[in-house]
Amino acid sequence: MVVFGTTFFNFDSFIGKTDSVEIIGKSVFLYCYHIIFPLLNDSGRYSLGDARRPLHETAVLVEDVVHTQLINLLQQAAEVSQLRGARVITPEDLLFLMRKDKKKLRRLLKYMFIRDYKSKIVKGIDEDDLLEDKLSGSNNTNKRQKIAQDFLNSIDQTGELLAMFEDDEVDEVKQERMERAERQTRIMDSAQYAEFCESRQLSFSKKASKFRDWLDCSSMEIKPNVVAMEILAYLAYETVAQLVDLALLVRQDMVTKAGDPFSHAISATFIQYHNSAESTAACGVEAQSDAIQPCHIREAIRRYSHKIGPLSPFTNAYRRSGMAFLAC
Amino acid sequence: MASAPRPERDLGLLAGCLPPYPPPPTTVGLLSMEQQETYLELYLDQCAAQDDLAPPRSPLFNPVVPYDMYILNASNPDTAFNSNPEVKETSGDFSSVDLSFLPDEVTQENKDQPVISSRHETEESSESQSPQSRLPSPSEQDIGLGLNSSSLSNSHSQLHPGDTDSVRPSPEKPNSDSLSLAPITPMTPMTPVSECCGIVPQLQNIVSTVNLACKLDLKKIALHAKNAEYNPKRFAAVIMRIREPRTTALIFSSGKMVCTGAKSEEQSRLAARKYARVVQKLGFPARFLDFKIQNMVGSCDVRFPIRLEGLVLTHQQFSSYEPELFPGLIYRMVKPRIVLLIFVSGKVVLTGAKERSEIYEAFENIYPILKGFKKA
Repeated sequence: MVVFGTTFFNFDSFIGKTDSVEIIGKSVFLYCYHIIFPLLNDSGRYSLGDARRPLHETAVLVEDVVHTQLINLLQQAAEVSQLRGARVITPEDLLFLMRKDKKKLRRLLKYMFIRDYKSKIVKGIDEDDLLEDKLSGSNNTNKRQKIAQDFLNSIDQTGELLAMFEDDEVDEVKQERMERAERQTRIMDSAQYAEFCESRQLSFSKKASKFRDWLDCSSMEIKPNVVAMEILAYLAYETVAQLVDLALLVRQDMVTKAGDPFSHAISATFIQYHNSAESTAACGVEAQSDAIQPCHIREAIRRYSHKIGPLSPFTNAYRRSGMAFLAC
Repeated sequence: MASAPRPERDLGLLAGCLPPYPPPPTTVGLLSMEQQETYLELYLDQCAAQDDLAPPRSPLFNPVVPYDMYILNASNPDTAFNSNPEVKETSGDFSSVDLSFLPDEVTQENKDQPVISSRHETEESSESQSPQSRLPSPSEQDIGLGLNSSSLSNSHSQLHPGDTDSVRPSPEKPNSDSLSLAPITPMTPMTPVSECCGIVPQLQNIVSTVNLACKLDLKKIALHAKNAEYNPKRFAAVIMRIREPRTTALIFSSGKMVCTGAKSEEQSRLAARKYARVVQKLGFPARFLDFKIQNMVGSCDVRFPIRLEGLVLTHQQFSSYEPELFPGLIYRMVKPRIVLLIFVSGKVVLTGAKERSEIYEAFENIYPILKGFKKA
């Protein structure tokens, strides 16, 4: 938990107001669509109409942030690769960069396992897939899991990294996201829900070549391999997700209740729980803006980078680029 | 020893009126009639015991498949039957196919088994040298209909003294034969799955394996067989396809074969037999051992949209839903051990089953849960 200004960075505390929940949902989950829009170059998708759509400026800013972060991450991974004397950036390099943050690393590992599992299942369903798999050589099962396990085995000194494989703790951030999604979808009607689902299916891994170009991989000396690209796509998605999570909290913080004299001293969580209809009416201020604004994003990044405490200059090893990595 | 009329009487109870069996063909009937009847009795007794034990399982959906007996057999651990599940074949699918060209060897480990007997077979690893006795094919019959006297005698003719393995399963055959004819379940009332929702998962793909038990020259097969591909640099097996049933087979030089793409157990078996026949015609001493269904995939549509976010939250320990990775929710059911892919549209795919009943059971289990997350 990071002390985040007046707000404890406790993801569990965020509960959207009912009237704005829909819109929050849209803005949260259409982010990917918007980021990917320039990548996909598919103008048909732009037609979502009014306040449902995230702000263009926000999307542009998020895209910019993600892009910068990923490029920096890639460069650092390339450096690690070079240290090893390898010719490609492998998933091991990315895992190495993430070794500091256990929770995020665990989330990444879980993602890799789910990916393996999904390919195993889908393979069994379609006979063509089965043939394809057989033809490509049969050590494809659980390949990502093997890669991760072997690598962590090799770098683990204290046993804590390997312990992550057995760790069955609930991932709070993931839990929070799931709960948020569930709350939002509960009140949607079928048409909105269908749209919502579609937008959730967007990812950076769908158009791999565009993603590669976006990251300018071709100009790099050491390029990432296929699994490394998958991980990068996942990290890009995670970065956006993190940004949105943080921005929502910032936005919550920014809401001022003119009628409440102590609002500056009370954390956003408290306001959430105890806010009543009267005080919102009394403020005369619109409770929430429709979408996440660029200012929320900027503030979120600023706060994230600004670690408080005596050890803050030493905690994040990846600040050379000036921006703390959100995804690792 | 049982008296001659007894098995008939039992069968009669179950199946309605039966013609007495014709005398078995001369080349077969290695067991005396009495011995055959004893086995039959034994089996009937066992079945009676099983019926008490076996819980009502999914019944016959596909009228072509008399699955009830199969399920009873499979579900009772006490019956020391062959470990390989018996697959009952139905003649319904075979109505246009005359398999009399298939010699005994290929069809069964039990030698004297006349080919078509589409009733049921037991796979065993017994050696068979077969005299080529054959009975007219009952293949044109529908399962649920009259007992085919020839198939009954077929079953009797299957008994082979030298074959300890076959002894136990064999007695089942006449019985399953007779039981299979009644469309009603003879002993246990089965709760029809459809009573909850009327939706029945349809089988989409069956993967099965069989051992042809002889070394194969893949090059020769690829050269002489139609619809065969062989690219040793890419993959060490011949890929062969047939049109009816529409399936693909991977044939390895060790003699093992994988058959995929069939839509029912019987079709899978039939297809496997056809491939074996092709191999046999090319001059290899192919047999048909250990036919086993490895995986069955079914699908259906609940016809209402499902709110997957709710499902993944409440059933976290069983489900994973990563929409950016795969649009469906992956639900790992523990009992039966089936994996379900649940989509927002209401389509459900069930996979990982070794038996049809598992698919039906899994769907029965999931349906009420899905109803709870119906997206209005």
